[in-house]
Amino acid sequence: MASSGLRRANDPPLLILVSLADGPKHGHALAKDIEDFAGVKLGPGALYGAITRLVERGLIEPLGGDDRRRPYQITPPGSVALAGALAEMRRITRAGVSRLGLDPA
Amino acid sequence: MKAARLLRWYPRAWRERYGEELLALIQDTLDEGRPTWRLRLGVVRGGLRERAHQARQAVGAAIKRPSGLDLWAKMLAAGTIVAILPQNLSESPPPARGWQAVAAFDALLAAVALTGAVVVASGLAALPALVRFLQAGGWPKIRRRVVWAAGATVVAGGALAGLVLAAGSRSPAQVNASYAYLAGFLATGLAITAAIGLWAIAAAAMARHLTLDPRLRAVQLVLVAVTPAAVTVVLATLNLWWSATQSPVWLVAVLVFLGSASVDAWRRIPRAVRRGRRLRAAAGGATIVNPSAQRTHGRHRA
Repeated sequence: MASSGLRRANDPPLLILVSLADGPKHGHALAKDIEDFAGVKLGPGALYGAITRLVERGLIEPLGGDDRRRPYQITPPGSVALAGALAEMRRITRAGVSRLGLDPA
Repeated sequence: MKAARLLRWYPRAWRERYGEELLALIQDTLDEGRPTWRLRLGVVRGGLRERAHQARQAVGAAIKRPSGLDLWAKMLAAGTIVAILPQNLSESPPPARGWQAVAAFDALLAAVALTGAVVVASGLAALPALVRFLQAGGWPKIRRRVVWAAGATVVAGGALAGLVLAAGSRSPAQVNASYAYLAGFLATGLAITAAIGLWAIAAAAMARHLTLDPRLRAVQLVLVAVTPAAVTVVLATLNLWWSATQSPVWLVAVLVFLGSASVDAWRRIPRAVRRGRRLRAAAGGATIVNPSAQRTHGRHRA
């Protein structure tokens, strides 16, 4: 997880990757979607800071079209990084649930 | 405050790439309303974070290029030496070491002449291409850097003149005891170093725009590689001279500079020759735009 730079569940880069996992979105659609599924309200500065880092690392890429509302899509390396981060979170979640005695199994 | 003004907190390159998108997002978020203080602070923080990120990247790139840092350290040393040279020229060598001082000073003059010749030859070789670039309306592309370098040169020249005047009106004992003179001396050294650095940056900016014949480009590569080695020779001979006129301690500095040269500066010359050959072979006689600058994304090596 560290190598992909995705650290916490509420990390803006991770939230953006999750949002783009079901298709391309532009900035405003991303912010709305993230607020809907994670309850995290990302401001324009934080959102574009995270987008910049993700583009630099090749985890997302811009699509053509309107320059002012340019959509972004997740790349294959982005999908791999997201899958790795989610797998690690799942392991941590299982351990926590099990140790709290909440695991039905 | 208009939303567009908030973009000024971001680096220019970032604004050109993402500015319009960020503005569109702000407008969508506000839905015709005015930016709230919370939103403004968020954008300002994002801009500062982006500037810090770019600064970290620049420092990281410099650390990965030890030869560039080494060259900069030599320029710093050269600037300091130029600043204190007038004071040292006025000191006489001890009689016992008279011939060593004369020999070292002759060697210093030869090294300075060689370095100057290399720099002048490099500049003259590029002069026709520079004239063509300026005639084609290229001045606005380099104006800002040249103006900064010229301004720094005026400041450094003024500081040096002030230092010389201040030293001329006092005895050596007064000069040595004066903290104001010491502060002026340090400031002058820094100003001269800054001027040299800014001219190097301006020259690199110009070089990126010049269209050079491959053969000339190959020669330029060698001249650029020879310059740091020549500067090292100047510093070494200058320290030899100081060791003859003042203190043998300077011999240690000679060894340091020669050691530095052996592991860095001289190694560049055969590399530059090989690159020049490859360049000429690849170009096959065609005229090219500075390939070194394109390859290094503007990290031109002076």
